[in-house]
Amino acid sequence: MTSGADAVLAGVAVTNFWLLGASRLGHSIRVTAAQGILLGFLPLLAAGADGGALSLRVLALVAASVLLKGLLFPRLLFRGIREASIRREIEPYVGFTTSLVLGLVLLAVSLGIGTRLPLPHRPVSTLAVPIALFTMLSGLFLIVSRRKALTQVLGYLVLEDGIYAFGVLAVGEIPLLVEFGVLLDAFVAVFAMGIAIHRIHREFDHIDADRLKVLRG
Amino acid sequence: MDAGTWLWAILLLPAPAAGLAALLRSPAAVLRAACAGVLATAAVAWVASARVLSAGALRAGGGWLSLDALSAFHLSVLTLIYALSSLFALVYFGEEIRAGTLRLRAARRFAALWLGSLAAMSLVLVSENLGLMWVGIEATTISTAFLICVHPEARSLEATWKYLLICSVGVAFAFMGTLLLAASTERVPLGGGGTLGWGRLLESAASLDPGTVKAGFLFLLVGYGTKVGLAPLHGWLPDAHSQAPAPVSAIFSGFMLNTALYCILRTLPIAEAATGRVGWASDLLLGFGGLSVVVAAAFIVTQHDLKRLLAYHSVEHLGIIALGAGLGRAGVFAALLHTLNHALCKALGFFCAGRLGQLYGTHDMRQIAGSLRGAPAWGGGLLASFLALIGAAPFAIFLSELLILRAAIERGSVLAALAFLAGAGIVFAGALRHAIAMAWGDLPAGARREAPSPLSAALVLGPLAALLLLGIWVPGPLREALESAADLVEAPR
Amino acid sequence: MDPARLLPLAFALGLAPLLLGVVNRTKAIVAGRRGAPFTQPYRDIGKLLRKGAVYSGTTTWLFRAGPVGGLAATLAAVTLTPLGGAPATVSFPGDLVLFAGLLALARFLTVLAALDTGSAFEGMGASREVQFSALAEPALLVALAALARATGGLSLTDIAGGLGAAAWAESGPSLLLAALALGAVLLAENARIPVDDPNTHLELTMVHEVMVLDHGGPDLALVLYGSALKLWAFGALLVAAALPVRTGSALPDAAAGVGGLFASAVLVGVVESTMARLRLVRVPQFLVGAGALAALAFVLVGK
Repeated sequence: MTSGADAVLAGVAVTNFWLLGASRLGHSIRVTAAQGILLGFLPLLAAGADGGALSLRVLALVAASVLLKGLLFPRLLFRGIREASIRREIEPYVGFTTSLVLGLVLLAVSLGIGTRLPLPHRPVSTLAVPIALFTMLSGLFLIVSRRKALTQVLGYLVLEDGIYAFGVLAVGEIPLLVEFGVLLDAFVAVFAMGIAIHRIHREFDHIDADRLKVLRG
Repeated sequence: MDAGTWLWAILLLPAPAAGLAALLRSPAAVLRAACAGVLATAAVAWVASARVLSAGALRAGGGWLSLDALSAFHLSVLTLIYALSSLFALVYFGEEIRAGTLRLRAARRFAALWLGSLAAMSLVLVSENLGLMWVGIEATTISTAFLICVHPEARSLEATWKYLLICSVGVAFAFMGTLLLAASTERVPLGGGGTLGWGRLLESAASLDPGTVKAGFLFLLVGYGTKVGLAPLHGWLPDAHSQAPAPVSAIFSGFMLNTALYCILRTLPIAEAATGRVGWASDLLLGFGGLSVVVAAAFIVTQHDLKRLLAYHSVEHLGIIALGAGLGRAGVFAALLHTLNHALCKALGFFCAGRLGQLYGTHDMRQIAGSLRGAPAWGGGLLASFLALIGAAPFAIFLSELLILRAAIERGSVLAALAFLAGAGIVFAGALRHAIAMAWGDLPAGARREAPSPLSAALVLGPLAALLLLGIWVPGPLREALESAADLVEAPR
Repeated sequence: MDPARLLPLAFALGLAPLLLGVVNRTKAIVAGRRGAPFTQPYRDIGKLLRKGAVYSGTTTWLFRAGPVGGLAATLAAVTLTPLGGAPATVSFPGDLVLFAGLLALARFLTVLAALDTGSAFEGMGASREVQFSALAEPALLVALAALARATGGLSLTDIAGGLGAAAWAESGPSLLLAALALGAVLLAENARIPVDDPNTHLELTMVHEVMVLDHGGPDLALVLYGSALKLWAFGALLVAAALPVRTGSALPDAAAGVGGLFASAVLVGVVESTMARLRLVRVPQFLVGAGALAALAFVLVGK
């Protein structure tokens, strides 16, 4: 393990575990933001490891993702908490300790798959694919195992983070449009979910996804 | 006019219409502006599609946009359904405007989202790049999500949330698949135009990395499959379809699902070519399709809500289309024909269900009766669309289902044929029972009557006539268009 | 035997109680008090040794054997513990498992003695202690395994010797994670906040302290000394992992190790002063989290 990319990936894995064990909503938002910022700097490290010059494009990508994930999303989410006066506990379906243990299982699974996935492009770091997969799986797990709508948004962000890491580290060249597409995607989706949460709150006085179950069958 | 201009026109025409709608001061005028915008776009799309049929694929935007036989076929069906639904929206929301439940703000929001969704779906169809296609699907998801809750109330918001969350996750998976496909091109010198142009990918498919392509196709199938509503990823679909206003449901069921399936159809030949044409990708599609047919059948039997019933019919029919697409050349042809038939039929079904819901004040099928007497146009339309949906002759769906069954048997896919027959059989019995009960019987006390107006008669009779005609005779140009579209998915060997 | 190898043991035997003094003094200063002198633990031990012991009539020889056996096992563990880069008195490949085993033995004896009293409180404390250590032990072993994998050494001494600046440059992130996991285990195993409060006076909330409530006089002195040694042993492991000073000769390494130990004692004091105790139900989560960090460290090292 030599490159800075490895250090960032290790940090991302730690934030995943952190989120799996976090019980406070505000705390989770901050940790997600930290994860986003960490990942935001990945393109810099990837470009450095490839020996390529730091192009304006890479810098723009870094700036955009750090601003978006580190600054804008947390603000939006905190505003959501304030306006909807959401209770600040996470309220999981699956307990925190169990979540952490399952996180270990997910890590093992992603290592198993990630090291076998045949990628023609040698990733910047051998950890890239396993940790990206681990992040995606953690995000999915957070979506299905937490009952607040806002926590589900966080899970979605983590899922997106995993995909972003995969895209930056494991894929050689992607068109600029697509790179920014991801950021735009995350932005728009979170924005839309924010509006939906706002409306749901106005209508229901709660935003617990588990109580959204009138529609069945 | 330059070839590329047509494509730009399709993408950009909804914008001025939306701008106009935002300026108008009465809800009815706003809706009419939206309708006009859709009709104009549809006209352009049909002309462009006709040109594709006569003169080959159109390209624009430096290779990023293109319209070939496959996308032209989908685009013309899309705009056809959109045009019909826009006209129906005038009828449907006209009632709400009279009742005072649709205010100006809601109407403006509807118009903007309605036109935005049209542009987003068109973008999916005219892009020549997997990345751009994905952007289109993403935009579709966001813009249509808020069409579900034109009237924000508890149930529609719940449906919106489920739709938004589940489909966002699906779209994220699809992006992962797109990335994997991009990764598989590492050793292929593809030159400019981006590595994700599907034309180039298809040309050099044999030299792509097979393992990565397999992983990528799996992610794409699951991701876009969520949006298609293939079982077991269909959780959002009945909620969204049942809670959205009827014109929106018609678009969802009639074409939005097909837009996502189109993306799978685009990647299918790439995956097949890269994995050595052994039917790996087709079999996956076949499996998902068969499962959807069976699962949907189980839900259809126990369903009491009219719009949810129609939604499960969508799961079933999209499953049938996926099944057909996995059955080789003949199957793809039949699947494309089925796309058109199902879109027409489902639009008709939702039109009628929506209006009857307004007249009876409920979507509970146990409380709807005597619709043939109460509202002949809508009641008759619903009965006919039910008959068509369950595959009764001589409606066109019977023909395309027969073609798919033949393709399955010719290919020796016994399991697929069995799943298809079992599903269709259960659906036939389950749905017919409801259809008869709703059409005849005594009109309940609270229900309003409605004499058919010219517009409503046209909206019912138009699709119905088309379905009957297509069931008997597929016109030459249409057959030609379908043949060349099917060639793009599965080249003749 | 190289006499320099006795150095870590000598330091441990002599300075371990001072470590407790530093922790307590730090807490006092952070809280704005002057606090007891650094040598207070020595005085406590001396005072207790001069007293007689009182034994409940319900207890058996197990109760009296507990503190003695516990201290013996802890002492044996300390002989295996290197001090910073300075090699431990005894070392052989695989001794890290023995290290964990000896500490488990000490805990087992303490728990037996606690159960022997027949008191409900002590039984409750024993059950908690065993539950938490069942979670802390895997974290400790996996963290040590990660360090072993990073350095290629199989004994604690080899591992500690290999954790120089070069190893940090090679696999810094995973060493950091392993050190964090070790730190968490240190807090848990030594009954420190946020897992347990060594100063609590409410039996219901106690974990470790409640088990030794019935010991008095010389027995309590042994227990106190034993817990100081245990803190020393874990602290030494943490310092070995986190402080990459390796000069090659034993004396400066040991001196750096002692310095690091007292620094970590200050750190423990600060943690205790600034953090609140976790609710009991959250403690397993804390420990599983530590285990997750250790597992992550183990995984990262291999790459």
